[in-house]
Amino acid sequence: MPNKWTALIGTVLVSGCLGAWADAPTIHIALTTPITGDYAEYGVNFKRSVEMGIDEINAKGGVLGRKFVLSVGDSKGDPKESATLAQKWVSDPTVFAEIGDFTSSCCMASQPIYNRAGMIQLSPTASATKFTPGSKWSFSIVGPQIYEQPVMADLAKNKLKLKTIAVLFINNDWGMDTQKYFKEDFEKQGGKVTATESFFQGDKDFTAVLTKLKQSKPDALFIATMYNDAAMISQQREKMGWNLPVLGPSSLYSTQLMALGGSSVNGLYTDVSFFTKDPDPRIQAYVTGFQKRYNATPNFHAALAYDSIYILADAIRRAGSLDKNAVRDALAATKNFKGQTGSITFTPERDAIKSYKVVQVVNGDFQLLK
Amino acid sequence: MFLQQLINGLAQGSLFALIAISFSLVWGLLRMVNFAMGEVYMLGAYAGWLVVAHLTPNLGVALLAGFAVGWAVGWIIEKVAFKAMRGVPHIASLVCTIGFSFFLKEVATWIFGAETKAMPSYYSQTAFTIAEANVSWLQVLMVAIAVTMMVALQVLFYRTRLGLAVRAVALDYRTASLMGMKVDKVTSLAFSLSGALVGFVGVLAAVYYNAVNPGMGFVAGLKGFTAAVFGGITSIPGAILGGYLLGAIENLSVQFVSSGYRDLVSYLILIIFLLFRPNGILGKKTKL
Repeated sequence: MPNKWTALIGTVLVSGCLGAWADAPTIHIALTTPITGDYAEYGVNFKRSVEMGIDEINAKGGVLGRKFVLSVGDSKGDPKESATLAQKWVSDPTVFAEIGDFTSSCCMASQPIYNRAGMIQLSPTASATKFTPGSKWSFSIVGPQIYEQPVMADLAKNKLKLKTIAVLFINNDWGMDTQKYFKEDFEKQGGKVTATESFFQGDKDFTAVLTKLKQSKPDALFIATMYNDAAMISQQREKMGWNLPVLGPSSLYSTQLMALGGSSVNGLYTDVSFFTKDPDPRIQAYVTGFQKRYNATPNFHAALAYDSIYILADAIRRAGSLDKNAVRDALAATKNFKGQTGSITFTPERDAIKSYKVVQVVNGDFQLLK
Repeated sequence: MFLQQLINGLAQGSLFALIAISFSLVWGLLRMVNFAMGEVYMLGAYAGWLVVAHLTPNLGVALLAGFAVGWAVGWIIEKVAFKAMRGVPHIASLVCTIGFSFFLKEVATWIFGAETKAMPSYYSQTAFTIAEANVSWLQVLMVAIAVTMMVALQVLFYRTRLGLAVRAVALDYRTASLMGMKVDKVTSLAFSLSGALVGFVGVLAAVYYNAVNPGMGFVAGLKGFTAAVFGGITSIPGAILGGYLLGAIENLSVQFVSSGYRDLVSYLILIIFLLFRPNGILGKKTKL
């Protein structure tokens, strides 16, 4: 018996030592994203893209001779959870930087924690205008609505020659911002908003609100929603027999829009800064790589998360060290980074200004509008 | 416009009403609320979706699958949350059903994935048009189902021996068991029936909204419960009435106030109503 125990303890000790010895220095990245709850389908795409990016970077030898390791935390789309995870990441001395969260509300709840600890908080998608000015450690790469909506307003007024439009939006931080900037710009161009209505997260029945909007007799409908709500709205609009041009922001860009909406989303206009059919070989490499790995087509949110890990790796490389201040400064100085979602340059307030292309759903597929 | 919005509220009201019936069934028997009802509805919808997406496009089979899955889940919930906890304060069972609600939702996310799945349309052709509102055959069917269910359950409860047993157990389960009634069997049956009903409704909702996702049960369950209390939770016709009224009030408040204040207005009406008539529209006074 004693022999057995000695052997066992010896093995554990030796393997433990070997393990520690084999551990090359790494860069520990934390990802905060909703894996469960109402926002899970967006959060899962974050995880897929970041894992894929990290594997690719590590396969090429990592950054500064170190490989990335990833910890994923599930914020459930709940600001309280997001803040708890922030506490967890900043109290772990191995965590170097954080990517996430999905919603603006979650990012803003955890912002003070990252700010106090001096840790980079890089959100792929937070687009509330108040977010990044709140802390010098906060970055967002989606591009705030204040820069995106002029594109849609211009499309509506000048290209499609629409005079009047009705607006339907989801009642949250993001939806409020989106409809506000769209309306401001559309009206500035001389257009008229006939009616504005909202709905709540989790609503499934839009007939009442669509009936009300229809009575205002607009030329077109603008919907500031996520793609799955947009698909339901379109289905119900079609059943009501209300046919008119429909426009919406880049959140509609997903193959799920057609999978759920069927023929009812045909003709819908949206703007994108990431387009899966872009002939650019870098974008094709990502799209086919993602399809092969996950058997799904990456959407806008996935592409933004993929850009996040690459832009962070790029900043570490340029900083040349793992000094948090140096990397933050290098990240803030990012200029013309060639990402999947276009060229990224941070503003002094650490938001990205994107360029947008307009696409339309034609026969169940997105096509660039000439 | 008034009429058009009323008709819009009809289909939504049918869904509320059918979920409300399920709440009434459980309340009537155990004076308990099953807060996992919305998740049973969601699992029923997934069962229907599985059938349509992988087996056969037959809607009847899909509805049957929703019914069967709802029956099974209802049975399990009764065994764990109620039977195993008989004799301990009721609050434990209540919290247990809340636990089930989160658990079932995450299980569905784990099995089916978090993204919304598409459900094809059935009977979506316009049956007739009133006040510019298109009424589809599906909407007609939903109203017909709600009314049929109400009648069938009334017959079951007031015209059969089984119904008599259920009512006896509801009145006083100790005395009923002393009289030789199989209290456990009756309770289990009523629970499974309420689960089956709500699973069936889940498939209808999935077809009506063309979508299934793990989060679909939460709001539906809450609104169904509200409709049940509104109509008088002790009464099945009351549950139906509560469902349709809630549907109508919600749609009319979108029309005449604002969609942003829809829930504010409808629930304000509800609270004021309950202040004056705490037993709901058709509810009877009950001693607890």
